[in-house]
Amino acid sequence: MREHLGRSCIRVFLTGILWCCLIVAAMAHAALTGAVPADGAVVETPPKSLSLSFSEPVSPLVLRLILPDGQARTLGTFVLRDRVLEIAPPDDLGAGTHVLVWRVVSEDGHPVAGSTVFSIGAPGNVPPVAEGSVDWPVRIALWVARVVSYAGLFFGIGGLFAVRWLIPGGADGLRVIRAATLLGAVATILSLGFQGLDALGAPLSALADRAVWQAGLATRFGLTVMALLAAFCLAFVAPSRAGFAGRAASLVSLVVGSGALALSGHASSAAPQWLMQPAVLVHAITIEVWIGALLPLAYALRRGGDAGRQALGRFSRLIPVCVAVLTVAGLLLAVVQVQQFGALFSTAYGNVLLVKLALLAVLFALVALNRWVFTRSAVRGDRGAARRLGRAIIVETMIVLAIFAVAAAWRFTPPPRALALVAAQPVSTHIHSDKAMAEITLTPGRSGPVQVSAVILSPDFTPLTPKDVTFVFSNPEAGIEPMRRRAVLQADGTWRAVDVVIPLAGQWRVRLDVLISDFELVRLQETVEIAP
Amino acid sequence: MLKRMLATVAALAIGSGTAFAHVSLQLKEAPVGSTYRAIFQVPHGCEGKPTNVVRVQIPEGVIAVKPQPKAGWTLEKIKGAYAKSYDYHGTPTSEGVKEIVWSGGSLGDDEYDEFVLRVYLTKDLKAGETLHFPVVQECPDGMAERWIEIPAEGQSADDLELPAPGVKLLEAAGGH
Repeated sequence: MREHLGRSCIRVFLTGILWCCLIVAAMAHAALTGAVPADGAVVETPPKSLSLSFSEPVSPLVLRLILPDGQARTLGTFVLRDRVLEIAPPDDLGAGTHVLVWRVVSEDGHPVAGSTVFSIGAPGNVPPVAEGSVDWPVRIALWVARVVSYAGLFFGIGGLFAVRWLIPGGADGLRVIRAATLLGAVATILSLGFQGLDALGAPLSALADRAVWQAGLATRFGLTVMALLAAFCLAFVAPSRAGFAGRAASLVSLVVGSGALALSGHASSAAPQWLMQPAVLVHAITIEVWIGALLPLAYALRRGGDAGRQALGRFSRLIPVCVAVLTVAGLLLAVVQVQQFGALFSTAYGNVLLVKLALLAVLFALVALNRWVFTRSAVRGDRGAARRLGRAIIVETMIVLAIFAVAAAWRFTPPPRALALVAAQPVSTHIHSDKAMAEITLTPGRSGPVQVSAVILSPDFTPLTPKDVTFVFSNPEAGIEPMRRRAVLQADGTWRAVDVVIPLAGQWRVRLDVLISDFELVRLQETVEIAP
Repeated sequence: MLKRMLATVAALAIGSGTAFAHVSLQLKEAPVGSTYRAIFQVPHGCEGKPTNVVRVQIPEGVIAVKPQPKAGWTLEKIKGAYAKSYDYHGTPTSEGVKEIVWSGGSLGDDEYDEFVLRVYLTKDLKAGETLHFPVVQECPDGMAERWIEIPAEGQSADDLELPAPGVKLLEAAGGH
């Protein structure tokens, strides 16, 4: 029975790891909503300033301009105005195609990267830019460090709290608890470096670089690391002093460690923050109390006798309350983050949540088994039941580790809430031809009713007033034939079409039929990505 | 499933505005350096509405344009300068008709008619190419059908939604 259970647990754990490795979604919160010059634009003279607009406030980590000859210049002069980043370009820009490569960090501490292309004079060959690929060694290092940090926090700090406050009989476990605390501290320090690598897009070999650590510290995650380290240090020095000081230290360390998790991450940056941050805090504290008590309980049961019975009695009285609070806080976080039921299946974030829920279901089943079958006989003094209970706790611990591994994968998946926010942003595209050029904007950039507008200029940037403008939308892949909408010229000079419904998400062809004169029609076509 | 069905219905409802029968030239081929009778066949009006005006743009290299009058239609010849001077049987010609407008008539959507021009195709036109005459049909309420698209390099008229009628140019007849 134990063999079998153990093996399936290992399988679940390995499947979890494999699954996490398969997540490729590299999107994160802040999304680029506009750039000047626009992506793909051709400008006559070198721009005096470059600007990038984002959906959220950001701070720049790396800004580089790749010149037409492939040479890269680091752009150090910039001004940040809320969501708009104004960057001073080098003075000596020549003709040709330039790539502005940016890497910024959004409010939740996660870096986002991308690039926009513009040409001076005429478009040339696009200089090669190495980007977009996922740096797997860094990603795996970040993930492992996070799993070990969690283990340190929940088994180490949580374990210490349990020994000091709930299960003094589990003091035999203090060595393991101290080891977990130490490991957690080391992993937390390392994760700062890995975060820096991720922030700068640097390879694992650059870990010794000072700039990497500074970059890691500069993100929101830096705060989390500092708070976690403080909690670990406190927990590490505390066990030597039992009594009141030790108890107080373990409590402070528990609260600070949980608070650290509320300082950065997807959940803490979600609105409303007054609710989300405390929810993360409560979620973390209750996990610590529950999971932390597992190891001391196992040791107390091994010792047996009164210590074991007393420990078990307390654990089974307190933990159901703890798990109830934990579940409520967790549900709240999940509802805010996932928003729609369908997103559980359609997004990587939702999938991670499903895997986590599945593991939790197994864990709860086991907990129920312990509570109502083994515990009763163990409390009555059945030695066999107590041993079985001890083994079951080890299996529970493994499942808990697997849950940490899955939860750590959230670091790489933006929640559906953030995806929806990005989808609500307008999509725009710039089309250039030798007869006319247009900037087309669809608001919002997702399926459903949209507002479509276009600014039409002649190729030399002088105003152009066509006789007639028609938008034509089609999606050949989905078998949707062209749908036409006549545009009306607005007072501000833009052409706008109403009653446009984009029925499906995906790659849509947007065409602008511009009747320049009675006998001259220019068709401008581009593909835009419509979010679900 | 429902979403997909709705999408299809929406696409059908919106996408059916495209006309299928084009204005075309009856005589599909003509040698350069010769007189050509351009017979424009107009098969229908604009989405159920009658055609009141037919406008034909004369492409560069086509000179000595003489439209055939039609009963019930007013003829207008819009003249202007050509891009260069063309040789018309030994006479240099640098200006002439650039657009012909038949107006004031009413050709029902369920009726057919022909509009005829006699033109001279100068030798400056390239044999082997197709010469296009953009045509606009105007209907009441500002509606119009514009057969004005000219295929770009590598495109055929079949690729276009609104192809301008064209005539394939042949080598000049020998001994002229």
